[in-house]
Amino acid sequence: MKKIILAMLTFTLLIPAQQLLAQTPKKGGSLIVCQPAEPPGLDPTANTAAAIDRVVFSNIYEGLVKVKRTGEFVPGLATAWKVSPDGKVYTFTLRKGVTFHNGEPFTAHTAKWNLERSAAETTKNAHPEYFRGIEKIETPDDHTLVVALKDVDALFIAHMAEGDAVMLPMKGHENAASQPVGTGPFRFVAWVRGDRVEMVRNEKYWNPELPYLDKVTFKFIGDPSAQIAALKAGDIDVIGYIAAPEQASEMEKDKRFKVFAGTTTGEVIMSTNNKRKPFDNKLVRQAMAHAIDRETVIDLVMFGYGTPIGSHWSPSTPYYKDLTGKFPYNPEKARELLAKAGYPDGFEATIKLPAIYSYSRRAGEVIADMLGQVGIKLKIEVVEWGYWLDRIFKQKDFDLTMIGHVEAWDIGIYANPDYYFQYDSQEFRDAYAKALKAPNEAEKAEWFGRCQEIIAEDAVNGYLFSAPSLPIMKNAVMNWWENYPTIALDATEVWLDQ
Amino acid sequence: MIPYFIKKCITLLLLLLLVSITVFSVLFVLPGDPAQIMLGINATPESLANLRSELGLDQSFWAQYFQWLAQLVTSQGSRSLNYDMPVNTLIVSRLAVTGPIALLAMVFAVIISLPMGIYAACRQNRPADVSVMFFTQFGLAVPEFWLGILLILFFSVKLGWFAAGGFPGWTVDVWGSFKAILLPAFALGVIRASILTRLTRSSMLEVLREDYIRTARAKGLMERTVIYTHALRNALIPVLTIMGLQLGQLLAGAIIIENVYYLPGLGRLVFNAIGQRDLPVVRDVVLFMAAAVVVVNFIIDLAYAYIDPRVKLK
Repeated sequence: MKKIILAMLTFTLLIPAQQLLAQTPKKGGSLIVCQPAEPPGLDPTANTAAAIDRVVFSNIYEGLVKVKRTGEFVPGLATAWKVSPDGKVYTFTLRKGVTFHNGEPFTAHTAKWNLERSAAETTKNAHPEYFRGIEKIETPDDHTLVVALKDVDALFIAHMAEGDAVMLPMKGHENAASQPVGTGPFRFVAWVRGDRVEMVRNEKYWNPELPYLDKVTFKFIGDPSAQIAALKAGDIDVIGYIAAPEQASEMEKDKRFKVFAGTTTGEVIMSTNNKRKPFDNKLVRQAMAHAIDRETVIDLVMFGYGTPIGSHWSPSTPYYKDLTGKFPYNPEKARELLAKAGYPDGFEATIKLPAIYSYSRRAGEVIADMLGQVGIKLKIEVVEWGYWLDRIFKQKDFDLTMIGHVEAWDIGIYANPDYYFQYDSQEFRDAYAKALKAPNEAEKAEWFGRCQEIIAEDAVNGYLFSAPSLPIMKNAVMNWWENYPTIALDATEVWLDQ
Repeated sequence: MIPYFIKKCITLLLLLLLVSITVFSVLFVLPGDPAQIMLGINATPESLANLRSELGLDQSFWAQYFQWLAQLVTSQGSRSLNYDMPVNTLIVSRLAVTGPIALLAMVFAVIISLPMGIYAACRQNRPADVSVMFFTQFGLAVPEFWLGILLILFFSVKLGWFAAGGFPGWTVDVWGSFKAILLPAFALGVIRASILTRLTRSSMLEVLREDYIRTARAKGLMERTVIYTHALRNALIPVLTIMGLQLGQLLAGAIIIENVYYLPGLGRLVFNAIGQRDLPVVRDVVLFMAAAVVVVNFIIDLAYAYIDPRVKLK
């Protein structure tokens, strides 16, 4: 009898899985995606704004390498790549039969021209350093690209998989900011400034199976309550990248919608001016680390969405090391360390919060309270974004601030003592150089891990949480990305069950 | 009339020159580097320098100012940094949203406020007057964005009659575009109607106490004629003044309501442009708004003369 029940139970448990397997994607349909910020132009090679990548990257433009949903690097416009034993020469095999939306064929020459253009002296690419390590590029035939680097660069493939390295056509690239032409699954139709970007299926996409959708529209709605109203009224299908976690918890209760609480590449940190007293004292920074209760911060600021981090590395990026246990919440210990540093009664400081990011404003208030409990009295100043960039980022005129760093693989900013938090450590620079020159996976893991450890131990900044992905969508939207291991709202494999 | 017109034109030109210098200086000293905002916080100093020289941001104050003036005078026009298109085209496309909303809001405001104001004035201190005054209190106290959200929740989310926001574009869908501006225009109109109602009422009350009204009544004119021909015409002058100010204000953009309904209007354009330091857009739009306010006031001046023949345009 027991066995029969068990068998029946197993059977009933299997049904949902079978149903899932039985669901084959349906072709057709039009999807409207809401994104809070309107992109400043549509050329991801000329601007690092995440809003650009979220609209065009992987939808209109593609690069040689793509990031899979699980964070691994998979073929994009290159079907395979080989690395020479010394780690300096990459041989890419390019996909055959790829054309740009304007009909121009994509060949090794196009790829070479793109990489050289980004590395050029007069480049407008915001990250020329991704390409400057290239010594020479050869194109033995139309579908082979041989890139020789000056030195080993462990992040070369990672950089080739970012929006900054997408392939533009040789003709018509001048208008990429307003008339994007790529090789992607969707072809650009129109950008109605202030309202939406429209794209339709690329009938000549190199993968004839994809995309499933006929049309994708990105609509720009900044106000969180307007986003929710639009979703409920049926004007949009997906909120691609939610700005307001308080809405997500509410929407989870609504049976008509799905909420994904996945991970992203972004780290929200309390940036600390390492050159300014008393924050130049490591003990003070460690005391602050002990005084912050990350779980509570996540609960109060993000309504429970988000993953605690202990260093400048998101759990969704390879070689992640969990360092959240390094400075556990312990106000007693924090007070002790403060006393040891010469501040038994604490001190006063200012935290400047950029007004455009609600998470930053809220986190600032919560942290001010937590630090207040160990004697560090924070004055809160909310500042406008342009002011933040000028006074804090450029002139480094701040004690503390709160900001999300959205790019993956950006720990190298700690190797630059002139970067706004002004961390200056030879030990870190050596470790980072070793990581970049690591010839194999094991050593990459070791040295990138070491980098994470060094800045965690030095408590350079207050490491709070990795931002959640939090897309909200109608139930009919299938195969949307749960985690965002790269900055893109990729609709290639998304379909509508209707 | 003609000298008056020429005088107005000279005033307009002088004003625009003043506005242009003010806007330019304010934006010049405003912290925040457009190149940095465009390229983001991870950009290298070299890319920043390249972009700055391309945008001409490395030139002196006067060089940049005169370059801008030259662009304005010649047909060339400036170009938006973020939208990569001529600012003139942007302004025209945004006016296609903001213009109709402003006018429709004023229509709502007028058809609500004039009858209510007159009605209340004729029944001063009676229940009808008190309830009208209560409505205006309500209209003054309620922020327009909140009214906007309530309208969305009721008409869009609950009843599904309207889209919750957005604007399809006049060339794409005329009826849909009209529906898109109806709710925001109503929200803006109701709030403005409260002010106009109070003004109409008090202005009417004042006029109704005048001797000539008593005379009119004494000679046996119908109450209707007394109110609409004799009283209203005279009471309208202060109402018109405020209406002109309101219309100018609405044309300059109803930023908050445009955000609630995510409409691509003029207000949101300039608001986002300030945040993004899209300076060519900010400068040109502010200049345009200043000109719009002056022109609206000019039209109101003409209306004075029409309503009250004693007013001479000199």
